[in-house]
Amino acid sequence: MTQADPEQSISKVAADTAVVAHEWQQVPGVPTQPASESILRKRFRKFRRIRRGYWSFLLILGLYLASFLCPYLMNGTAWLVRYEGQFYLPTFTYYQASTFGQELFGEPDYRALKEQFEKENAGNWVLMPLYPYGPNEALLDLPGSPPHAPSWEHPLGTDDRGRDILVRLAYGFNISLTFALLVLLIADGTGVMIGAALGFFGGKLDLLGQRFIEIWSSLPFLYTIIIISSVVVPVYIPGRMQVLQPSFWLLIVILAAFEWMAITYYIRGEFYREKSRDYVAAAIVTGVSQPAIMFRHILPNSMTPLISFAPFTIVANIGALVALDFLGFGLPAPTPSWGELIGQGMENLTKWWLVFFPLGALFSTLLLVVFIGEAVREAFDPKEYSRLR
Amino acid sequence: MATYFIRRLLLVIPTFIGITMAVFLITHFVPGGPVERQLMRMRAAAAGGEAAAMSGGGGRPTVSLPEDAVEEIRRYYGFDKPVHVRYGEWLWNVLHLDLGNSYIYQDPVWDIIKSRFPVSIFLGLTGFLLSYLICVPLGVLKAIRHGSRFDFISSGLVFLGYSVPGWALGTALLVLLGGGSFWSVFPLGGFRPDNWEYLGFFDKVTAQIEHMFLPVICYMVGSFATLTILMKNSLMENLGQDYVRTAFAKGLDERRVIFVHALRNSLIPLATGLGHVFSLILAGSFLIERVFNIDGMGYLGYQSIIQRDYPVALGILVISSLLMLLGNILSDVIYALVDPRIRFK
Repeated sequence: MTQADPEQSISKVAADTAVVAHEWQQVPGVPTQPASESILRKRFRKFRRIRRGYWSFLLILGLYLASFLCPYLMNGTAWLVRYEGQFYLPTFTYYQASTFGQELFGEPDYRALKEQFEKENAGNWVLMPLYPYGPNEALLDLPGSPPHAPSWEHPLGTDDRGRDILVRLAYGFNISLTFALLVLLIADGTGVMIGAALGFFGGKLDLLGQRFIEIWSSLPFLYTIIIISSVVVPVYIPGRMQVLQPSFWLLIVILAAFEWMAITYYIRGEFYREKSRDYVAAAIVTGVSQPAIMFRHILPNSMTPLISFAPFTIVANIGALVALDFLGFGLPAPTPSWGELIGQGMENLTKWWLVFFPLGALFSTLLLVVFIGEAVREAFDPKEYSRLR
Repeated sequence: MATYFIRRLLLVIPTFIGITMAVFLITHFVPGGPVERQLMRMRAAAAGGEAAAMSGGGGRPTVSLPEDAVEEIRRYYGFDKPVHVRYGEWLWNVLHLDLGNSYIYQDPVWDIIKSRFPVSIFLGLTGFLLSYLICVPLGVLKAIRHGSRFDFISSGLVFLGYSVPGWALGTALLVLLGGGSFWSVFPLGGFRPDNWEYLGFFDKVTAQIEHMFLPVICYMVGSFATLTILMKNSLMENLGQDYVRTAFAKGLDERRVIFVHALRNSLIPLATGLGHVFSLILAGSFLIERVFNIDGMGYLGYQSIIQRDYPVALGILVISSLLMLLGNILSDVIYALVDPRIRFK
């Protein structure tokens, strides 16, 4: 089957261990194969066969890794400067503008320096990154007032502070994805711990935990996050300075605090079921410690929901971050962000590039992740539909 | 089964208290609340007055207010009591259907919220009905023609719908069709035109449709993907069941098998979603309402948080969380009603 059934991915998929059991069943009398392939590898092979998902995965992975090079590929700081017979590496060391004989305070303007050196033609040169603009650099020397329309020099235009949009989108991609992955990691970590404890120990702990989760998950999600982040938005009150600044990490923790419940339900269910299997009984009899039973024996058998939900959680996380940034409750101000750009676009409706380009970035990223998720789900949790005729 | 639902109803009480208590605690300890706001206003007024009197005489950096004035403001907003007493009083008032007065507008919270109901219900109901009217037939068609070109193309649409958040689509639509730099087909926002009262009936209808078109599309994008797929998968699953095989085997027409036998059963998962119809319709989406500048419940809640108008924010929380908790139970009731195999204990 080359074209996997795309849409089941979207509906929440219950983990189906019956399928797992099936793959291990062997027909009596048929000679067994020499070495059995691990189920994880089998599933990975299946994932690779679903081409759309696999290619999306490679593409996103490649782009994400490349985006870590943004500071070196897209920046206003030069790679290498040759000045008066000496080499300088401004990417790694900070130089005063006066170092290169430029009459400026603070950081040198490397683009101007490059032009100047080229004009002088005195053996000095500047090697700029491929795209010589920084993410927080206000390009106020461009003709006209700040939101500049796309041009050859700035293919996606600039935002309302004259910062290059292409650069900000690229940095924003890295930040959004890093953010989503970290939230996923923390939320899943917490969810697995709590879910495992509830499912494994059961009893009163389980009852109490479930009540707590019910209350916690009934809180309106974005609404509460906005209340909390609005607390943390710096409010300047005389005599009482702000204790907490809104930050990347704070936002991650807040979002994770609202997300761990989803996976907890599934892990709890998995542990509840796996607990009664023979291999667990065998482990108990041989005297394996409880944490080892939980995390070395049961957990690897309960990974299906964890993995098959992950891409969709990432979609949700990126969506939440963009929404929060759009509303102004997201990452602190100069951070390159897609949502903030869309928010700017809403205030300048005639400046279409402020809305379309970040939306395009958001949209294509989410689409790729959804493709991955659909393929992962297909590989990990196949559902065959048979139909007469 | 009655005892099950009575127990569920009783469990709403502690959950409700838990939810409101959590939010109440947060609002109590938030800096920049009404007391600080009022103090700041008074300080600014005092400082401004003095500065005018001294006219360039250096100006003192801070102006201190008399202690008893501060105390009075605290008392006015109820902040002189410890938090548990405040919460108890608030809860007691809520039980008497009194949500308090807005800090900003000074009107009763209930009146403010009530005034937003028509907008939210109108918008929410339209979006809700339209999305069911589109998604159910589409899902059925996709299931019947599973694997066909139609299925493949519409799946693409579903993917697109799932990948773009409704409010974000709204911003693009506004720029494209709202008269920014492209076409000016639809108004920029708002629920109704300003001259609504003077319009004739026909004009009212067209104006309303013009104003609703884009927001409703954004509402629908949110449920489009999930609802269509739920319908499709549910029908696919039923088509693989033995009773469908039996129906075919005894020689029934394919149409009859699909639309009479299988479809009825596959509507069950969709029916359970109806329990949340009230919270969907009322709560709306503050993101979409904000993008289109519509004064619904969602936008009211958003504004009340920004302005630290906590009685309004808490009032909306009370209504939305009650609707959600009761909606959960209603879903189960519907589930038990439409599916006789389901018995709750």
